[in-house]
Amino acid sequence: MSRPLSIKQAERVSGAFKFIVLLVFGVLLMAPFIWMVSVGFDRTANISMPFPPRLIPEELSGFNYGIVFENGRLIQSYINSAIVTVSSVLLGVSASLLAGYAFSKGRFKGKKLLFILVLCTLMIPMEPRLIPLYKLFNSVDLLNTFWPLILPTVINGMLIFLCKQFFDQLPDTLREAAQIDGAGEFKIFFRVYLPLAGPIAATMVILAFIWSWNDFMWPLVVLNNQELHTVPLYLASFSLENGTSLGGLTMALATVSILPIIILYLFLQRYIIQSIALSGVKGE
Amino acid sequence: MKDKAEIENQFPAGTAQNGRLPVKSTKKTSSPLTWYVFLIPSFLGILLFMIYPIFESLRLSFYQSNGTIEHFTGLNNFKTVLTSGPFWNAVGNTFFIGIFQIAITIPLGFIFASLINSTPKGKNFFKVIYFLPNVTSIVAAAMIFAFVLHPEMGIVNYLLDVIGLPTPGWLSDPSTSKWAVILLAVWHWIGFVIIICLANLQAISPEMYEAARIDGASGFQQWLFITVPNMGGTFAFLLITGWIGALQRFNEVYVLGGPNGSPARSIQTMGAFIYERGFTGFEFGIASAATYIMFMIILVFTFINLKLSNMKI
Repeated sequence: MSRPLSIKQAERVSGAFKFIVLLVFGVLLMAPFIWMVSVGFDRTANISMPFPPRLIPEELSGFNYGIVFENGRLIQSYINSAIVTVSSVLLGVSASLLAGYAFSKGRFKGKKLLFILVLCTLMIPMEPRLIPLYKLFNSVDLLNTFWPLILPTVINGMLIFLCKQFFDQLPDTLREAAQIDGAGEFKIFFRVYLPLAGPIAATMVILAFIWSWNDFMWPLVVLNNQELHTVPLYLASFSLENGTSLGGLTMALATVSILPIIILYLFLQRYIIQSIALSGVKGE
Repeated sequence: MKDKAEIENQFPAGTAQNGRLPVKSTKKTSSPLTWYVFLIPSFLGILLFMIYPIFESLRLSFYQSNGTIEHFTGLNNFKTVLTSGPFWNAVGNTFFIGIFQIAITIPLGFIFASLINSTPKGKNFFKVIYFLPNVTSIVAAAMIFAFVLHPEMGIVNYLLDVIGLPTPGWLSDPSTSKWAVILLAVWHWIGFVIIICLANLQAISPEMYEAARIDGASGFQQWLFITVPNMGGTFAFLLITGWIGALQRFNEVYVLGGPNGSPARSIQTMGAFIYERGFTGFEFGIASAATYIMFMIILVFTFINLKLSNMKI
């Protein structure tokens, strides 16, 4: 019967226990990253990886990083990825904002049917479209350019869906007031609703950025020219060429390719996590 | 004048249900075509990059084709694919990796989400740390894991050896290579599962816990009888998205084992099989038939998942 007395203590013990479990597992999850950074600074790791693994390299050296930057292919692939991603995000987000707004506030024939069609695109994976799209871009001579990576991002069912949900929450009275002032549909969209769409636009940019930056299978199919390789393509070709030799170089390359994204993530983590959670929760 | 007419029509439509039908005809004339202009970019995209490829792919699956020369072969491509050992091997690999990835990550991720949600200190810190693997691209992650899981010099086998467990050959051995991919998949996906679980955990109303506490339920009892049953929809969502993703697995197995999923095709997935036949062999007809079979498998499983999850809720 002394239970009520010990509740606070029990809570404190269980809290500490939870904290320790989370910490241990968190370190395990981070271990590959920590090891990656450490091996990248280890010059001897290219001959054979240091074993047993050590946190601080025996001979600390920026040799591997020097080679990664001197080689230039990583920087080129960064530029390529940036061009593709920025264009895709701009195209996908603008088209989805327009469509999402029309599906939310528009009154036109076939609205429901067209929206169902948009939702259906969510169920269509890339694989069955791979060969026809390859042939399509081949027939207009656009293979080995960035166009095949950028143009198809114009349609994104998830972005349209999220955008429609957002505009649904904004009141119709705003447009009615603007209509009385004699504004046309485009003016209402650009002057009244678009300025209010900041939060959802940010979410859409984050999601579109992640999808485009990490895209792999389709770029692999359309880009044979090494000079046009995006970051994931360059990493994959390096990895397949060298296997598990050149450990130090591989890890330095992995670090340089991951780090900017991690830094960006640490700055924007609240918004990124919110965006992912939103696409998940709404997807239900 | 046009606009004013529209406003007048909108008000009765919004306020009284009965007013809708008679007004409809005038509304049509007043609703400008501009709404379709808003939709032009997206629907050009749907037409060119969704609908056309889906039908073209269906057509190609009945043809023998290498991209330039085509001739009709009826159902031969489907026959070839469905009787091909490597295809069923790829289906088996895809399912094996997917089932274990999901069966491990969803419960584990949910437990960690619950722990993060109830830890007194460092909630946000853990959230950021646990989600970190998911922000790194799976290609870079696979590149690191080739070393992390190296049989002789990797850190995983080092740790296993330290605590006295047997050290498997991971990617160098066809009998354990799928587990290497599962480990990578769990590591990469768990952050996503945790974030989705956390968002929904925070949506459960605190009053329920309040009531349970008054009734004297322990923390664990509250978790088991309030939290778990309230997460049905979340688990269903994770099951569906996880399964669709798992059926399309390609990037990491390509980096770890190339298009043929070495060693000994043990990690070749359906996506890799299609890539191998379509873009290293340029057998467009056969690859198209395979993509259609895969597409059907994805649709069937999405449907089953939706049914199952509806029953659970």
